[in-house]
Amino acid sequence: MVVHIVGLDKPGSRFLLQGNEAVARGALEGGVQVATGYPGTPSSEVIETLAEIAKDHGIYVEWSVNEKVAFDVAVGAASVGARALVTAKNAGVNWYMDMFATVVYGGLPGGLVVYAADDPGAFYSSTEQDTRPLARSVGVLILEPADQQESKEMVRLGFDYSEKFELPVFVRSVTRISHSTGDVTFGEIRRERNKVFFNRHYGLPFRYNVYGPYKYGGEVGPSAKHAWQLERLDSIKEFVEEVPLNWVEEGNVDVGVVASGIGYSYVKDALARLDSGVKLWIFKVGTPYPLPTKKLSKFLSNLREVLVVEEGDPLVEEQVRALSKDCCPEVKVLGRGSGTIRSFGELGLAQVLRAVSNLVGSKYYEPSDERRKVKAEVRKIIAPRSSMMCAGCPHLGTYWVLRFALHKTVNKYRDRFKGAWIVNGDIGCYEMGGYGLFAKEIEPSKEKVTKRVSFDNPYEILDTNYIMGGGIGVAQGQYHAGYSEGPIVAVAGDSTFFHACMPALLNATYNKAAITFLVLDNSWTAMTGHQPAPTTGVTATGSPSRVYKIEEIAKALGVDDVWVADPYDLKSAEESLLKAIDKTVNENKTTLVIFRRECALQVVRRLTREGKVITHYVVDTGRCVGCRLCVQLGCPAIGWDKNAKKAFIDPTLCVSCTLCAQVCPVKAIKPSTEEVVGVKGV
Amino acid sequence: MRYYHIMIAGVGGQGNLLLSRIIGDAALSKGLRVRLGETFGAAQRGGSVHSHVRIGKEVYGPLMLEDEADALLALEPLEGLRRGVQYLKEGGLAILNTRKVSSIDVNVGVAEYPSIEEIIESFRKLKARIVYHDFTKIAEEIGSPRLMNVVVLGVFAGIAERELPFTLEDLKTAIRGRVPQRWVELNLRAFDVGYEFSKNYIMK
Repeated sequence: MVVHIVGLDKPGSRFLLQGNEAVARGALEGGVQVATGYPGTPSSEVIETLAEIAKDHGIYVEWSVNEKVAFDVAVGAASVGARALVTAKNAGVNWYMDMFATVVYGGLPGGLVVYAADDPGAFYSSTEQDTRPLARSVGVLILEPADQQESKEMVRLGFDYSEKFELPVFVRSVTRISHSTGDVTFGEIRRERNKVFFNRHYGLPFRYNVYGPYKYGGEVGPSAKHAWQLERLDSIKEFVEEVPLNWVEEGNVDVGVVASGIGYSYVKDALARLDSGVKLWIFKVGTPYPLPTKKLSKFLSNLREVLVVEEGDPLVEEQVRALSKDCCPEVKVLGRGSGTIRSFGELGLAQVLRAVSNLVGSKYYEPSDERRKVKAEVRKIIAPRSSMMCAGCPHLGTYWVLRFALHKTVNKYRDRFKGAWIVNGDIGCYEMGGYGLFAKEIEPSKEKVTKRVSFDNPYEILDTNYIMGGGIGVAQGQYHAGYSEGPIVAVAGDSTFFHACMPALLNATYNKAAITFLVLDNSWTAMTGHQPAPTTGVTATGSPSRVYKIEEIAKALGVDDVWVADPYDLKSAEESLLKAIDKTVNENKTTLVIFRRECALQVVRRLTREGKVITHYVVDTGRCVGCRLCVQLGCPAIGWDKNAKKAFIDPTLCVSCTLCAQVCPVKAIKPSTEEVVGVKGV
Repeated sequence: MRYYHIMIAGVGGQGNLLLSRIIGDAALSKGLRVRLGETFGAAQRGGSVHSHVRIGKEVYGPLMLEDEADALLALEPLEGLRRGVQYLKEGGLAILNTRKVSSIDVNVGVAEYPSIEEIIESFRKLKARIVYHDFTKIAEEIGSPRLMNVVVLGVFAGIAERELPFTLEDLKTAIRGRVPQRWVELNLRAFDVGYEFSKNYIMK
């Protein structure tokens, strides 16, 4: 068994760590006792790493069913004095805001570090949301690291700071740190563990009960606790003047930069590229809220112009602008808010370099016009590569069945339906069903009338897609609003089902929404890297647990009509789905079809570990009539030879799921070997 | 040396991230700062993946800029060109695996995969020094197509030997540290085969 680097007792040594691994190390150096989270890129590796070293270091680590539960569990741990860490991606922060906004009314004796990995540029997310304004609205200290080393230090220090003020500390990272790797010097692992205790009135009467009759400043209950929190926030404002995470680097001109988090790294990278005698003043911000206003006022008073560099919303910039109006109104404040840097998309180094080089008055390399022309020519031949599901993915089978079942249903009820069904998507690998093809350009339609769209691949099947658990609720609204020109469907995965769909499904049956719900159960939280889910049968740290059957839960939630289908058996899966949709449209019932097959990647891994060699299928070119039905499956292992006008199968990708052989109308696709070893079976 | 930049481009499942870590470890062993910036789409397999590898004394964030890559390791030709046209500097070195991985856009007929000749010609227009070959085939001959990434690393190490801030031995040590035990020998062989290939390669 290889020991994870993060757990090594080697203070002073340098290792390459991904930002999330550095956060895990910081938690270890900070003596974390309980760590929770729900998988979400780019945050998942914190819990994954801690889960690996949990036993050796005596830490309790769990994958919770969603971020809200994860947050509540961490709060519980800190309420009995333990040091706790909760992790989420940007979208996950929205899930726990209720408890976050409430627990600060009275705070906690144990250190609670709340780690959020934002995703500017939305590489892995539905939005680019900046979570710092959320934490600010709650009124807690926000720390923002500039790199992997600081990610570690800030999480470690976060526990101390949290205990000092008895309030959670919010550590905000971004993709370019959390999902990038850098050299990190290790510190000492904290072996000491906080004592676990419970004392209802510890430090504050009715500490853990916002409605408890605590009196303060003429108020009682929550308002009194709010006053307590604001007092604490005042102490934090004093404290940030002294923390070593904010500092000034002296310059030799009257212009400067205020840089927070990754913004600081971009500024340093930009300056390393600009050979100039001009030295800018730099204010490095490690606490974007609250800002050290005294220190910052002094900094601003020397300057004529200041550029604020931060990733996300102009949170620091707006505070600096407000501050400058009080302390030094002549200072010009530039940034994303002023339009100097564009306010959407990733901040990135290129934009920072441009803005900084304007300040310094020195130019950096730009491609010549000639080179730009060459590049434009070259780019014309670069075909786009749209995202695809994996070879043999069970979702390919599900979407095939869904596409044809919808067609058959609207044809059957031609008199009732205009043929425009609605498929509501959700978050997970199957969301790729709404990614579309990058090579296609779509014009917006101007008519407020129902329109049927046609498509010939699984990547255009989803009509709506927003958030975790959103599709099933959206479907109900469409039904209750009276949409009746086609069946209304929602899809979700198994991990998503537990995360957010259970209350929505009960809502559907209770309020009688005639929708068909598909759960694509592949036994894992696959998209974020195969974390276990309640369908897997193990916990985060690998101990066996029960396997939760979605059909049993659904029946308890009031779904009378449930089918379990195998997406690798297209014919019978389609029959089940047709029955379900029929029942929905004819009897106005909420129906559920569970498409159950383990994620193909996991099956392949297991077979490979067992020493088995996966066999593949081949196209008999003599039989192939070039109908392209197999290509329409959208499997990356299937290619199209445009000269021969025949399909072919990439033997290195094919995992013998048999789907293409099932769709081929002329039986031209066959196993390449007598004995088949693949994801459908051996 | 302020910094040395390597761009690694390919599709998911080709071992892009492993390569960046091997190079990063080698640089770390020489006391340099290292930043590896990875971007991959939602797909676990088959999606476009590229890594920014930055090593040197003055590196802070994980991103390089346009025309700043000293070298491009192109594990897949189309992805190589996609990142090369953006990042490879004039006179930069491109190691190009010519084995194509098709895309859905091409398969359903809404886009066309350029020919290898067109891709190579494009690199020439961009004034790159280019080494190209079906390195997947070499890897298959060694024992597995999955060794292709390390074959490409060996080729790169051979061509760029004198400009790299670490030695061949540093890279091999890093391979031993990063690859599962039972795969170490095969990976070291793949590296050596790539290295030998580079010594016999005549750049046109």
